[in-house]
Amino acid sequence: MTTSVDRVAGPAPARRPPGVLRRLRKDWWIYLFLLPTVLGYGAYTVYPLVASWWFALLDWPGFADQGTFVGIENFERLVADDLFWNSFRNSLVFLVCAVPLRVGLALVLALLLNRRNTPFKGFLRTLYFLPVVTTGAIIGVAFTLLLDAGGPISLALVESGLLDSPVNFVADTGTSLFSGAAVWVWKWLGITMIYWLAALQTIPQEVHEAAMIDGAGPGREFVHITLPLLIPFLVIITLIDTVGALNVFDLLYTLTAGGPAFSSEVIEIFIFRTAFGATVPQLGYASAAAVLFGLITMGIAVAQALGVRWARRATGAMR
Amino acid sequence: MSTQHPSRAPRRRMPVNRRQFLGAGGAGALAAVLASCIGGGQSAQQGTDSGEAGGALQWWDQFRPLTQMLEDELFTPYTSANPGVTVERRELAAADLGQALQVARRSNQLPDVHSLAGLDAAPAALVSEGWFQPVGDHADFDSSPIADLLFDGVHRFDGSVYSFPLFSPRQHATIPWYNSALLEEAGLDPDDEPTTWDDLRAVARAVTEGTDASGIFLPAQNPDYLSAIVTQLAMTAGAPGPIDWTTGEYVHDSQPFVDAVEFLLSLQRDGLVHPASPAMIPRDALARWAAGEGAIFPWGPWFIGDLVTESPEVVERGLGCWSIPRPNEERTSVRSAPSGGVFWVSVDSEHPEVAADLLLQMTGQDFQAALASAMDQPPALLEAVETADVHPAYRDCVARFAEDVRIAPSPEIGHPDAWRVTAEMRPVQPTIGILVQSALSGADIDIAAELRTYREAVSVERERALAAVQADGVDIDLDAWVFPNWEPESDYTIEAYDAR
Repeated sequence: MTTSVDRVAGPAPARRPPGVLRRLRKDWWIYLFLLPTVLGYGAYTVYPLVASWWFALLDWPGFADQGTFVGIENFERLVADDLFWNSFRNSLVFLVCAVPLRVGLALVLALLLNRRNTPFKGFLRTLYFLPVVTTGAIIGVAFTLLLDAGGPISLALVESGLLDSPVNFVADTGTSLFSGAAVWVWKWLGITMIYWLAALQTIPQEVHEAAMIDGAGPGREFVHITLPLLIPFLVIITLIDTVGALNVFDLLYTLTAGGPAFSSEVIEIFIFRTAFGATVPQLGYASAAAVLFGLITMGIAVAQALGVRWARRATGAMR
Repeated sequence: MSTQHPSRAPRRRMPVNRRQFLGAGGAGALAAVLASCIGGGQSAQQGTDSGEAGGALQWWDQFRPLTQMLEDELFTPYTSANPGVTVERRELAAADLGQALQVARRSNQLPDVHSLAGLDAAPAALVSEGWFQPVGDHADFDSSPIADLLFDGVHRFDGSVYSFPLFSPRQHATIPWYNSALLEEAGLDPDDEPTTWDDLRAVARAVTEGTDASGIFLPAQNPDYLSAIVTQLAMTAGAPGPIDWTTGEYVHDSQPFVDAVEFLLSLQRDGLVHPASPAMIPRDALARWAAGEGAIFPWGPWFIGDLVTESPEVVERGLGCWSIPRPNEERTSVRSAPSGGVFWVSVDSEHPEVAADLLLQMTGQDFQAALASAMDQPPALLEAVETADVHPAYRDCVARFAEDVRIAPSPEIGHPDAWRVTAEMRPVQPTIGILVQSALSGADIDIAAELRTYREAVSVERERALAAVQADGVDIDLDAWVFPNWEPESDYTIEAYDAR
């Protein structure tokens, strides 16, 4: 009916959108409410971001008022700096090991807690979520004690025969990074589990019932029904956890301080050490490392976005 | 569904509608937030005057054991004698202080007086960047009891005194502090001092085998601690220090350094080191030593001051110290650089004359004796320890320093522009501390080869820094690091600089 009316009436005459000043005058209160966010975001996110690009082009000892412009010299030094690449590699290893573990374990926990016959579901959800609300630095300090050679974890492994002698997990060049990854997974498992639980709620019960009527067992139902419907969520959750895995400074710094011998130094600790920890702080060099790291992170985010688009298309095609 | 509406009374027009109210409320909240952002960071410039004759001094340092002493022996007497002056001290962890100072400098919020932990690599660079104002213009440090310890290039720049040595240079950080009760439990006599590396190993073994405790702590999470220990042990084995002052060359790969590292690794291999040591910083080790988990902990003279502050009952339990052990019976001294300035008056301070006068009080005999009583680093006037109220173990420790430590030359004193090279030098990694940390954590590395690589890298970096400084027109070369008249077993005095 509306269509016919439109046909009768013909196309409406084109109206010029109101000008910026007019919109500001008309809806000034909207912009007033936006102002605190814009100011805060500008001062604490945009400005540091833009400033770090400029700082990256300076030779700037931390005790000087300002740096000297040196062009891309900092980036050239970075490319030749073994410790930068060591920290870059550690960040990638951390990412590759910890993110799938966190996403996968959380999915398993969510599936178990989503079953009707699982007892103490509320209690278990709280239990798994508790480390999420605990400060990373406190967890780092606590696990330093738990994971040292005289700590309960090492002693329990020796008692059980899994280890011949106590191992100092956080102070061994071969295990420090992986210990950090394990503690990080443990700390954040609860929040990823909540994401998965929310995702599982979106799958209609009828689909599960239909699969059951068709004779699908739990395994086939998971592979052919649940998992395909979770793929868009998988991409989003992986993206969130990946960003989280690039922000592990507090936990790793208190747990290992990047050591021993830089074996667990991720890029954030490298930046901090260069900017503040050295006897002669190098703000320009640290900024260059941050910029390079930011670019790489951006690349990962773009890849993730493409993945989301692909997943949506794939899911749409399946439907 | 009814389409009829109950009759409504006509609305009274409100003077302010909801949107206007929310808008005004939002604007008010924003103004409040912005206003709150302005305050809170009291700087030296913003300190409120409390009176015409003085002012409110902001004071930052990292000396936790000195907290009570500074209050009782310096601030309270001074503010009582000078009504109108107040001092607000803020203690930060050493690692945080350097960062706080950098940030404060850029936001013009430096305190009036502060120490330099974390930024003490080249104080002269900070002077040249205009961080400080001279204290010598406001107080007569050249006539103070520590006048003989003031050096050009370290405390005095362009003829003006900027700071002064609060502590004695005659100290090191490898004093083996022991737990008397654990030694006795292991059947050992604390007075039977282990003078050699093998003797110390034997003591650590006796404790490990005869008690539930470990023999020794080697907190390895802090590479700087390990660097200091290795360098000082290497000096007892005959190394001149990191630099051979007769040639100016770095000697990190000389045999004494290799031997010192091997000694530490052998303690680890023999199972005498506390198993959690690799994950400890020195303060962790101190807490565990206090808990009786190990018998020996090599650290500095402040060890006992920290314990008195945090666990006085442990001091009562019984402790003592020995001299730094050496590879054989031959006594070789440890060399230490002249003490730098500790407290500086920031360029932002509006009360430099008050700050300078307050700092001058720290150079007096009374304050130096009180400083000794805090049992932190020994005071600049070392003789004050003899009459101060200190634990016998601390007095013993300082007496051992007098025998064991000699003052090394300093290029910054010998050449007016040497600091420029030091400030230009970038950190070379991995340091000796990192190498030892790596080896102690189980990595299979060739220590001698790694030390050689480090020595070569540091030498190259110094040459690069030297070239960069020379390119700026500064007249300096490697001779600034050469002191041909240096005698390893003698103090390098100001006369020696003149005779060079």
